[in-house]
Amino acid sequence: MFFHIVLERNMQLHPRFFGRNLKENLVSKLMKDVEGTCSGRHGFVVAITGIDTIGKGLIRDGTGFVTFPVKYQCVVFRPFKGEILEAVVTLVNKMGFFAEAGPVQIFVSKHLIPDDMEFQAGDMPNYTTSDGSVKIQKECEVRLKIIGTRVDATAIFCVGTIKDDFLGVINDPAAA
Amino acid sequence: MEKSGPVQKAVVLQPFVKLVRLVARAFYDDYTTKSDNQQKSARSDNRGIAAVVLDALARRQWVREEDLAKDLQLHAKQLRKIIRLFEEEKLIMRDHRKETAKGAKMYSAAVAATTDGRAEDKVKLHTHSYCCLDYAQICDVVRFRLHRMKKRLKDELEDKNTVQEYGCPNCQRKYNALDALRLISMVDDSFHCENCNGELVVECNKLTSEEVVDGDDNARRRRRENLKNMLQKLEVQMKPLMDQLNRVKDLPIPEFGSFLAWEARAAMAARENGDLNPNDPLRSQGGYGSTPMPFLGETKVEVNLGDGNEDVKSKGGDSSLKVLPPWMIKEGMNLTEEQRGEMRQEAKVDGGAGAAAKLSDDKKSAIGNGDEKDLKDEYLKAYYAELMKQQELAARRNQQESAGEPTSGIQSGTVYSGRQVSMKAKREEDEDEDEEEVEWEEKAPVTANGNYKVDLNVEAEASGGEEEEEEDDVDWEEG
Repeated sequence: MFFHIVLERNMQLHPRFFGRNLKENLVSKLMKDVEGTCSGRHGFVVAITGIDTIGKGLIRDGTGFVTFPVKYQCVVFRPFKGEILEAVVTLVNKMGFFAEAGPVQIFVSKHLIPDDMEFQAGDMPNYTTSDGSVKIQKECEVRLKIIGTRVDATAIFCVGTIKDDFLGVINDPAAA
Repeated sequence: MEKSGPVQKAVVLQPFVKLVRLVARAFYDDYTTKSDNQQKSARSDNRGIAAVVLDALARRQWVREEDLAKDLQLHAKQLRKIIRLFEEEKLIMRDHRKETAKGAKMYSAAVAATTDGRAEDKVKLHTHSYCCLDYAQICDVVRFRLHRMKKRLKDELEDKNTVQEYGCPNCQRKYNALDALRLISMVDDSFHCENCNGELVVECNKLTSEEVVDGDDNARRRRRENLKNMLQKLEVQMKPLMDQLNRVKDLPIPEFGSFLAWEARAAMAARENGDLNPNDPLRSQGGYGSTPMPFLGETKVEVNLGDGNEDVKSKGGDSSLKVLPPWMIKEGMNLTEEQRGEMRQEAKVDGGAGAAAKLSDDKKSAIGNGDEKDLKDEYLKAYYAELMKQQELAARRNQQESAGEPTSGIQSGTVYSGRQVSMKAKREEDEDEDEEEVEWEEKAPVTANGNYKVDLNVEAEASGGEEEEEEDDVDWEEG
């Protein structure tokens, strides 16, 4: 699920950036530092949408670095148990398959794939129904439900299922 | 014999015993002490032995395991094996004690108290084990067990979002699907153990695993059918057990306490009954260690208190007239000044009786006993009697003093008494306001019983609640 929230961060800025466009430098550094990171609490920071306030800088003794407390708005993505996501399959093996929904990796184990889909080893490993009408392979898009998440301090990993109504392959660029 | 113990005066053991018997038959019916590879002949087949032991335990309280073995004509080793099983299953409490002859004697005394039968003088000098059913825990354990059974079947049936588990066949390490990212290996497409790099296998905890191997439609349907059947059978077969659990749920659970406490209590009960037991620990001078038994006798005080309480209740019950005590008079009640003060006696009788009857109705439904009010009534009666006497005395003295001027003397006398009365009334109002503390202080020593305190509490809240609420409101508005 996506959220638009306000976060705060203390930015350390090198003295060489002190000048006319200090603020621009600060913001671009913030974006470089924060976007794409993952915190267990808020999830993945997808994008910074605005800066609320930049507090008074504090010069560090010895280094000359200046610390600015910055409040910024950002879009975060946090997967939840029970959430339905659309993901792209990245890897298929006999244990199941891995898929990615943006920054999140999701594993769907074999017993959470519908029973009528069989693993086919080979050049392009895939799961296929007995009549061959549905095929899960690399690069195809699936809709899945998250049934478990593991949230570490800096990473989130999910386990999903496609063994439910309206879940499964939604688009297969390879077949098209 | 289990009823003779002093412990379970209020609790009924019967439903719990029935529960234990049901549990024994449901879960331990086919338990056998033989290992599987042993050849089972008809003679050595001891299935149902666990049920027998449980039944026997349900008929006893704390029991020495050797005695139990003897009663059941079992080998002590065999019994111990079963007992250990029950201990692991959390059905029983056990206690081990290194015993001298005296310790054994004490136990015998306790047994004699609960069984009022013979107690054999078994004098041995090594560790004895005692065991007793732990009814409270049994209820929890059984409920949990049933819950787990049902949950597992249901999950299986619905393929309920279970996170797949993997195990390493070499080092027995367990993983689940959430670890998948770390486990995937670059070499082949299977998962590998982080420890030993062995290939992980799917932990198959399916109940009907034989058929899962092929994923074809037929097999799946068969499996579901199986599971459904199993669930249904479970529901049907466990029905009596569940019914019994529900029945037992609201009952007070029989507690025997720890072994030492039980033993002491049983011995006390024996002495109380006047049994001249030669094994009585008091007479045998000193129990285990060198702790003299009279210390343990102190626990009996509680029992006495309870008895005394009943006496009070019966005495209080005699007075059928319920009078209105002062802490029930509030601002809201339309009692005139005279009723509060001088006409107090009448107010108590007529205005009070109605209110008291009304109050006593909902009181009784809420609290369950009115004997505490009776106590207060008696206290009040005495108080008023004393007060009246004093007033009369004062009036008489005034009259005597002012014998010369009769009119003024009478006036002053009445004025004086009136002031007295009004003062008293004020004091009562004060009492009303902070009667919580006053009542507590006065009644606490009289009623040092657990039940009683709870009742008092309710009483205090019931009568003092309104004022407290008002005060609270004021505070809020001010703040």
